[in-house]
Amino acid sequence: MPDNSGLNFKPTRRAVLAGIGAGMTAMALPGRVWAAEGKTLRYGLSTYPPSITPWNNTGASSNYVKLSLYRGLMGYDSEANLVPEVAESYEWTDPTTIVFKLRDNAVFHNGAPVTSEDVIFTFESIIAEDSSAYLKSSLLNIVKVEAVDEKTVKFTLTEPSAVFLKELANYCAGLVWKGSTQDDPIGCGPFTKTSEERGVFIEVTRFPDYYIQGEPTCEKIRFTAYADQNLRYAALETGDVDVIEYLPWAQFDTVEQSDTLKISSTVSPFMLVLFNVANDGPFKDPKVRQAVGYAIQRQDVVDAVFAGRGEPLTGFPNPPGSPYKLSDASIEYSFDPERAKKLLAEAGYPNGFSCRLLATSTYGMHQDTAAIVQAYLQMIGINATLDLPDWATRVKKGKEGDYDIAVHGLSGYYNDPNALWPLLHSGPASYTRSFGFESARIDELLEKGRATMDEAKREEVYKELAKAYFEEVPQVPINWRAQAHAMQKPVKGFMAFPGWLNSSSAYSFDVTELS
Amino acid sequence: MLRFALNKGLAALLMLWVVGTIIFSVLFIIPGDPAELLLTSDGASASQESIENLRKEMGLDKPLITQYLEFLAGAAHFDFGQSLIDHVPVGETIALRLPRTIELILAGLFLGLVTGIPSGTWAGLRPGGSFDRTISAANAVLISVPGFVIGTLFIYLFAQVLHWLPAGGYVSFTSDPLLHLKLLALPAITVGLHLFSIIFRMTRASVLEMRTHDWVRTAVAKGLRRKLVVRRHVVRNALGPIVTVVGLQMGILLGSTVLIEFIYNWPGLSGYLVTAVQQRDYPSVRAIILVVSALFILINFMVEMIYSLLDPRIRL
Repeated sequence: MPDNSGLNFKPTRRAVLAGIGAGMTAMALPGRVWAAEGKTLRYGLSTYPPSITPWNNTGASSNYVKLSLYRGLMGYDSEANLVPEVAESYEWTDPTTIVFKLRDNAVFHNGAPVTSEDVIFTFESIIAEDSSAYLKSSLLNIVKVEAVDEKTVKFTLTEPSAVFLKELANYCAGLVWKGSTQDDPIGCGPFTKTSEERGVFIEVTRFPDYYIQGEPTCEKIRFTAYADQNLRYAALETGDVDVIEYLPWAQFDTVEQSDTLKISSTVSPFMLVLFNVANDGPFKDPKVRQAVGYAIQRQDVVDAVFAGRGEPLTGFPNPPGSPYKLSDASIEYSFDPERAKKLLAEAGYPNGFSCRLLATSTYGMHQDTAAIVQAYLQMIGINATLDLPDWATRVKKGKEGDYDIAVHGLSGYYNDPNALWPLLHSGPASYTRSFGFESARIDELLEKGRATMDEAKREEVYKELAKAYFEEVPQVPINWRAQAHAMQKPVKGFMAFPGWLNSSSAYSFDVTELS
Repeated sequence: MLRFALNKGLAALLMLWVVGTIIFSVLFIIPGDPAELLLTSDGASASQESIENLRKEMGLDKPLITQYLEFLAGAAHFDFGQSLIDHVPVGETIALRLPRTIELILAGLFLGLVTGIPSGTWAGLRPGGSFDRTISAANAVLISVPGFVIGTLFIYLFAQVLHWLPAGGYVSFTSDPLLHLKLLALPAITVGLHLFSIIFRMTRASVLEMRTHDWVRTAVAKGLRRKLVVRRHVVRNALGPIVTVVGLQMGILLGSTVLIEFIYNWPGLSGYLVTAVQQRDYPSVRAIILVVSALFILINFMVEMIYSLLDPRIRL
């Protein structure tokens, strides 16, 4: 029989406690060494970028990474002012012709200088027949792009455009070297991609030949994806990351009162109601749609869904930071259930009706907003049944008109009413617009607004548009919601850009410092 | 034995084909278009033309039957195609992520076994004792609290309050072994607690049953030392049901660690599956489900083998 006395370990209380103590000390010893890493900015993304193709829009997280790698002719400075970016200057030689002078020192990451030919390659690819570029439809107003000389390039447009420069500053308009292959588009942004682990992180390193001297100010940015918003916040609090995007609304207070963290927020996207007006249901009548507008107590949505971080939106969604004053109480909603009932009665539904309310369970804010809208509709006699599929199904149902009424959240990418074009102008069915809705009046005003260069006249056009928005009811606005970045106090220079420019905040990576 | 293995192998292939075909058809029945989803992330509006162009690029404009045959032909020689989203070969991604999920499960299993079997045995030998009552009560709590709640509590306690461990994430073992283990600790303990509660209960019940058998009494009567009786006659015989349950749990965990992976940002296979489903990345979804099914079948096969080793009376 083998001697197994060695196996006779008798666990005493002291031995166990000593073991636990030693284990915990070992875990705690190196403490937070991973928090201090020189000049690497550690940024917590809300989702891992599905792909980083320069011209496709694959979501806010991708766009942040993209802006660190690719830059276009126009851009924004660290104060969110529109400025020439890779272009040094521009000049409108006539209302439909603009000439860009390129920076002499701008080079691509492979060392090739940025030339007119690269600009031509970029824009011809964006508007090519088989392109899936985000800006393709916006930029179809380009008649031709020509090289005047090596560093000068001329765009000819079909008609004047008040927003052309803003479109060129979009995160999907980055210049790409003309010899690039489809799998490896080479840009000229402030950083180059140096390492990546799919689904985990992307690391970019300062490009030494960037065209602005002394920028970018940090050596590296490490983008790490934290899909769960609470974990993302926990990672910030423990010091695993320096900046996070999409701070959960419930944490705004905590960050504002924190000694170590700070917040940079703006009021950006808006929540709204869309309608299916294609079939002969009640929502075909604009009065019924207006009734919905009067039925909702908007502050409730702001308080319950967004922890009070937002503002009721009662009329035309003129983006915060827009140069035009368009508010006018006579064309805005108030909370007035009596008026809503009256409008329903006038439309022939004094006793209300039943309908299907589409939102998505993928995003809590959509689902919760829908539940509140449902409750208020109940009060004026509209019985809405909630339909809450996953996001993919919701997009499909929206596009195919498989709903009666839908709750949604939308935003543009610059602070000008024209940014609402894709959300209001008629076109092929989209889940971002009321199904079957078309208004020649709204289309005309949008077209006129884009082609008017004079600021005062433009404001008049958009006042008309705001009126049309109220009377034709393409959508019913609910509220603006706040969008915030939270960061460690020592982070300097990074800020959330105001209003709809929020999605372009990555421009401020150029001057972000860690002290 | 060989005949048994061959039969099992054929049945496994057939099952995989059925799984593959079901998953292929289900993916086309559920609504959602990968091209449209990719171009409309975060509520962006994409033109119909852009979407059609991307669909063509993804190969989704081909007839269904062509796509099905291509899928079968590819799967037959382990080529699962490319992800529709970023064009990386799916096989590569699985090779990268599967080991992480397995690592997490094995680490959890290790913790579950080293705590569950001894404590279960101890409790089973002295039913009703204070040890038994304490652990059984704690176990009742553990079994009723879901892993994601425990996970959230752990992150709050160990990362946010005590600052002992990072909140979550992943680095590879080769780039930073210590940090790797630190990041593994919380998710592994969370999985381990779940397994512990199951293993503890099984062991306790099994030991309780075994200790009443005649041969245990005989062994004690002939003067064998108590430890030896327990180890050789009680625990060994009690292991049968535990092996079955552990095997089953391993298979289930392959697909269900997703919540743990999500909470701790552990980039394993099941997290990838969820993202792929959300993006309707068909080739990835198919490949992951096929691989997980294959592993499940394999584990069951191994359980039967281990069974026969533990109890020679079971002839295959």
